[in-house]
Amino acid sequence: MPFRRLATARPFFTLGLVVVGWLVVPIAVKTFLRASFFELTAPVTIATSYAGGAQDVWALRLHSQGELIEAGRDLTRLNSSYEFSVQQNTELQGQIARLEGLLRLPPFGDYRLEHARVARREFSGWWQRIVIRKGRNFQIPVGAPVVFSGGVVGRVTEVGALTAVVELITSPNLRLAGVVEGDTRPISFQGGLNPTFGPPRGIVEFVPLDVFASPTATKRLVTSGLGGVFPPGLTIGEITKADLGPDGLFKNGEVKLDERLGSLTEVTVLVPLNPE
Amino acid sequence: MATDDVNLAERSGSLVESHKGYDPRIIFFYFVLAALLLTLAGGLAYQQLFKTGDYHERERLQNQRRVLVPGPRGNVYDRHGQLLVGNRPRFTVTLYLDELRSEIYSEYLRSRKAYRATGDKDLPTDTQLRQIARVIVVQRYLDQVNRITRRAERIDGKDLESHFLSRRLLPYSLIADLAPEEYARLIERLPIRSPLQVYTTSARYYPNGSAAAHTLGYVGTNSNVSAEDFPGEDLKTTTMRGTIGEAGLEKQFDPLLQGEAGGTIYRVDKDGYKVNPPLEKRLPVQGQNLTTSLDLALQRAAEEAIGDQTGAAVALDVATGEVLVLASKPDYNLAEFRKPGTIADIEARHAWNNLAVNGFWPPGSSFKILTSIAGLRRGSFAPDEAITTCTGTTRIAGHPFFCSNGLGHHGDVLLRDAIAQSCDIYFNYAGILITAEAMAAEARRFHLDRRTGIELPGENNRMLIPDPEWKKRVKSEAWFPGDSALMAMGQGFVVVSPLQMACFAASVARNEVFTQPTLVHQENRPPQHTEAIGLTTAQRAALIEGMEGCLLPPKGTARNLTMVESLRVPGIRIAGKTGTAQKTVTKDGKTGTINYAWFICFAPVENPQIAMAVAIEGDTIGEEFGGGFHAGPVASAVLKKYFAQKNRPAPLLPPVRMN
Repeated sequence: MPFRRLATARPFFTLGLVVVGWLVVPIAVKTFLRASFFELTAPVTIATSYAGGAQDVWALRLHSQGELIEAGRDLTRLNSSYEFSVQQNTELQGQIARLEGLLRLPPFGDYRLEHARVARREFSGWWQRIVIRKGRNFQIPVGAPVVFSGGVVGRVTEVGALTAVVELITSPNLRLAGVVEGDTRPISFQGGLNPTFGPPRGIVEFVPLDVFASPTATKRLVTSGLGGVFPPGLTIGEITKADLGPDGLFKNGEVKLDERLGSLTEVTVLVPLNPE
Repeated sequence: MATDDVNLAERSGSLVESHKGYDPRIIFFYFVLAALLLTLAGGLAYQQLFKTGDYHERERLQNQRRVLVPGPRGNVYDRHGQLLVGNRPRFTVTLYLDELRSEIYSEYLRSRKAYRATGDKDLPTDTQLRQIARVIVVQRYLDQVNRITRRAERIDGKDLESHFLSRRLLPYSLIADLAPEEYARLIERLPIRSPLQVYTTSARYYPNGSAAAHTLGYVGTNSNVSAEDFPGEDLKTTTMRGTIGEAGLEKQFDPLLQGEAGGTIYRVDKDGYKVNPPLEKRLPVQGQNLTTSLDLALQRAAEEAIGDQTGAAVALDVATGEVLVLASKPDYNLAEFRKPGTIADIEARHAWNNLAVNGFWPPGSSFKILTSIAGLRRGSFAPDEAITTCTGTTRIAGHPFFCSNGLGHHGDVLLRDAIAQSCDIYFNYAGILITAEAMAAEARRFHLDRRTGIELPGENNRMLIPDPEWKKRVKSEAWFPGDSALMAMGQGFVVVSPLQMACFAASVARNEVFTQPTLVHQENRPPQHTEAIGLTTAQRAALIEGMEGCLLPPKGTARNLTMVESLRVPGIRIAGKTGTAQKTVTKDGKTGTINYAWFICFAPVENPQIAMAVAIEGDTIGEEFGGGFHAGPVASAVLKKYFAQKNRPAPLLPPVRMN
């Protein structure tokens, strides 16, 4: 009878031993183990991502020729639109450069664009982190800003040999300095506590009192460029609410973020050419 | 004996000694023991059951701390809603020391080990070592902030120690008043869960610099912040510094502007650090806003027109008595008030005094309006009666009197022209006809002998309306006819403030005897009504025509306001009166007279809306300094701006926001 009791308690005993053992392991060893695990699982993550990509390719091959022709036409239209935008951008950049020269303004920090495919999104933190398929092998540094066509994606928080982890702007662990478009006063933006698969939102603090926003008259929130991490003018989201704070000095508000942040497949890492 | 030996042998062979029955002597001790136990139990029950409240209270006082945070002050606006005084955010990077306890302790151990390793006999004491550890750790975090903000700040050890001893519950301020760029860099680069956080407080914000500085006033530091109805008054309380009005409207309306303090009650550990979450929390609430009657555009116009001169200008809304302008120069820039050296500079320039309210000067010829009213009411003269012939000079009671205006050729002047051309000889005689008592009584009717009661702290009562009784009482001298002659033209002993003369002008404009000035704006404020002056229509017409003639060429003493294009107020009829008074002063070792230039007016004549008084002090002994040429342009600048605003179409209101 006592033997049977001991046999029943054995798993709990073993678990207890493991927990105690983990607790007494030095932090350096734990960090090493965590990093090793990250690096060891990276090839699996990448392989899974490639397999997913291949699956998508084969799924696309099932489309009819008519659908492909239609998609090709759409793509051509989109390309021509983008080419026009590129030309406009080039012209505007030239104007900006001339004005900067005239006003003797210091140039904004330059970045190398590193496009990367999203390898995995963490289900435990759906609106918090994604893993991209590039890491130290592409000289991606910790802290680099990450963007997509809709604006800011987040910041690189961890870099492995082949992959990197990006903290999303939808995460409450990310904070950045934004400005209302056309304004110069910095506002603190922080990701919100977002439910998985729900519409992403963030919060803003220190909003000047003369900024008014409502769901029907939103204000566009863009990066300020003052923080030194993100270049200015990148879209963060739309301020949908700004209420007077209790101290009467500022307003606090809510920001509606791009829902496409929940289905990212490609992002661009802005690698600073002259890091501070 | 043998039996005893056996018994002893038996007893010595056994270690157990047994007794049967109870020894009465032991029973006694049972009672004693029971009594002792009962005492203990009773004491315990007493302490636990009856003194629970006391112990709970002592535990509460020992383990709980209260932090009070002052509420931001309310804003001050001008009558059109333009911000005069507001609050600006003051970004401060702070360090939460309670999150650094383990780090500070590790540093303490490391420092102690390092000192011991040196073998030095003069080792720091334990308290010193702990302070060293705190400075090292805090400097480490400050270096982190320095790297982000590109500064090179160092920790002030004494300040840190003082904070640690008395304000441990509050975060320690590392750098105050961050620039927006620094604030942006910090919020973007500091980890979210860092002991370093950006904190905001409010500081007074003066968007218009020195505009209406004396009227708005300033605030000082207030350590005596109290939170009414917030529990824990008996707890040890740490109070964040607030502000209190020290001058001007900030002082007068301090109870209104003062915010409602918020508070937090924390449980603290044995080292005095707070344990989150707080037990009780109430957010601070901003104070109420104050809408003043001032018009910022007019105020600026007046101050710009006075420029570097010493003087004051006051403008009132005739109907309501609301003060539109209350300008005093020299002044000081409220936005730079706390900069080093500012106070010394203000003192050197004698800029503290609000001359509009507390600048007391003889009113000169602007007082002739009051003399005229007194004479007309008393019947001392009629508007069409020439009471004397002005040849430029006369003798009254053996003393020579001169006419300073119109080169002394006014001749048989009537009241209208005497006012318009400010004939001194006419008013010298008028004073004698009216008598000093009657002039003083008339001045008292217009409240020129007392404070106006404007909502500003420290309004002085140095104004003086003399009469024979006063001279006898104060100077022990008799009243001479010459005193009446001087008093009639606003000289001698008469002194009043620009605010009083503006009230007087507004009263004359309304044909009433008193105007109560107010600095608080009220939409649709009902017009003031006081006792009528009591002039006949013809008498009033002569008075107003004389005042209007003052601005007309060729002989009006303020004709420059009509003749000079830049000073003209187009399409507006103005009734005014100039004045120039003299005062003997000693300046730079030289004794002589300096002039005070006055101009009082109201407009439009047919429907008075605005009344003004301007007084400018001459700065050079012996300098010709007339009211028309020195005070008039200030009034002109304000009137031009006033009527330009009146004639401008109302601005389109912003669309109503539906939130």
